[in-house]
Amino acid sequence: MTTPTPAPKGKIVCTHVSKTFIQKGKQEVPVLDDVSVEVQENEFLVILGPGQCGKSTLLRIIAGLETPTTGSVTLAGADGVAREVTGPGPDRGLVFQGYMLFPWKTVLGNVEMGPRLRGLSGAKCREIARHYIELVGLTGFEDHYPHQLSGGMKQRVGIARVYANSPEVMLLDEPFGQLDAQTRIFMEQETVRIWQAEQRTVLFVTNNIDEALFLGDRIVTMEGKLPGRVQTVYNVNLPRPRDFTDMEFLRIRQEIIDASQLTL
Amino acid sequence: MSSSIANETTCSFTDRRPWTLRRVLKTRPFLYAVSLFCFFYGWDFLARSLGAEGSSSLARPLEVLAALVDLWDNELAELKLLGHIWASTQRVLIGFSIAAVLAVPIGLAMALNRTVNAIVKPLFDLLKPMPPISWISISILWFGIDETSKVFIIVIGTFVPCLLNAYNGVRLVEPELYDVIRMLGGNRRDEILHVCFPASFPAIFAGLQISMSSAWTCVLAAELVSARSGLGYIIVQGMNLSDPAMVMGGMAVIAVVAYGTTLLLTALERHLCPWKRKIAGL
Ligand SMILES: Nc1ncnc2c1ncn2[C@@H]1O[C@H](COP(=O)(O)OP(=O)(O)OP(=O)(O)O)[C@@H](O)[C@H]1O
Ligand SMILES: [Mg+2]
Repeated sequence: MTTPTPAPKGKIVCTHVSKTFIQKGKQEVPVLDDVSVEVQENEFLVILGPGQCGKSTLLRIIAGLETPTTGSVTLAGADGVAREVTGPGPDRGLVFQGYMLFPWKTVLGNVEMGPRLRGLSGAKCREIARHYIELVGLTGFEDHYPHQLSGGMKQRVGIARVYANSPEVMLLDEPFGQLDAQTRIFMEQETVRIWQAEQRTVLFVTNNIDEALFLGDRIVTMEGKLPGRVQTVYNVNLPRPRDFTDMEFLRIRQEIIDASQLTL
Repeated sequence: MSSSIANETTCSFTDRRPWTLRRVLKTRPFLYAVSLFCFFYGWDFLARSLGAEGSSSLARPLEVLAALVDLWDNELAELKLLGHIWASTQRVLIGFSIAAVLAVPIGLAMALNRTVNAIVKPLFDLLKPMPPISWISISILWFGIDETSKVFIIVIGTFVPCLLNAYNGVRLVEPELYDVIRMLGGNRRDEILHVCFPASFPAIFAGLQISMSSAWTCVLAAELVSARSGLGYIIVQGMNLSDPAMVMGGMAVIAVVAYGTTLLLTALERHLCPWKRKIAGL
């Protein structure tokens, strides 16, 4: 409480966020401890950490789906004024770790959900949805139900659904975790392509170091044990599209591996 | 040797394995036919050996068929077979519809609203373990022996599964799906409309299916106790006339009609939730 808090400048600013879950037997589970992260406007920030270090919890707090036990999260609006996050809202879009598509809706129905909730006309919703379905390369699958799609396609629907709602901030939670290596690299390239086509602020969570290096402007590493803490912040000043065998790429990769006890 | 090779090459486009006797014996339609034949033959054999003097309490399959043809052509208590079928079906449909229209919304409301839950649950828990059949006597005292008492029994018997399944359907919805709606800017009403209802649809339909078979049990019980029409009435008449063929005919017709209503519900569900993966078998 005594720490001087400078006026937050970034798009998303987490200041001293801690989270402790209370489980059934009144047992306290500390999940996040004093996490401070700042994401700049239109930046692609990657949070890199091993399993169960509170990455999803941090994203859910920023999304407004969980409240931090201590600390706060502010989000700069389109007008540049920072406001504290008190609940979920369409200014942030979250791509869930599981796909979380609506099984009773087609691809089109899933993607146009956001515009429909905003009360746009049916034709307008369809037009927006079609645009983003095309952007993620799923044209021709508009009338398919989620169970008729592959894992990678489902994930793309999840991404299109969030994009169609035009959030100022995209939050992606290990979106490619369940994909095979080949599809994964393809999806990473697509993500960069889409991000370059539609400049947005992106906060991307992953446990994969190569994915982090391929995507991020900056990488925030987290400690591997509970409660999760921020370890180091790395700048990745490499031109896109990035090359996995580039010398600088490999140097930063080694630096991160040496610094964290991530055995990869 | 050479002929068998020739056989294999001609078949290889569709199926590499030749049609051996063994394979024919294992095909599904064949096994179905064998199973049914054995059942009817065994039944017929049993009926013949039990009733050497024609006083068997087990009718032969063809006698059952003859009894049904007789009911089809001739009136029993002023109604032919179709009339009796319709009498029972009508009771089932009315009772089932009343229960579904009442119980499903109550179940949904209980799952969605704590206050409703706290008010309804104790009453529901009190009445739930009471077998619906145990209401027959009281309903006859209340409503007499005409249609109302039978419909009442059916409503009682179908209410519980309808309500329970609607309730559980809502409870088992993946909570992160609500988060999706909230992240997209939806409010509580959107959560209910776009997640809660569609997600609990399959469970509600499962409840309706259970209710439908329960409704047939109830209508039969009610008709056995007192009725002047319906399939249960045919069975009672058969019993009074010591005519096993008539009793078994009534049983067979109930099975067919009840199965028909189940198929109808399944078709309705297919139509209303095309997203549901088709489950093979059963
Ligand atoms: N609602 C909750 N109640 C209690 N404990 C929770 C809750 N949510 C998360 N946890 C605990 O918090 C810890 C971190 O969970 P979290 O999902 O944030 O990890 P993660 O870094 O996203 O892991 P993964 O890489 O496997 O997705 C876990 O040990 C989990 O058991
Ligand atoms: Mg996670």
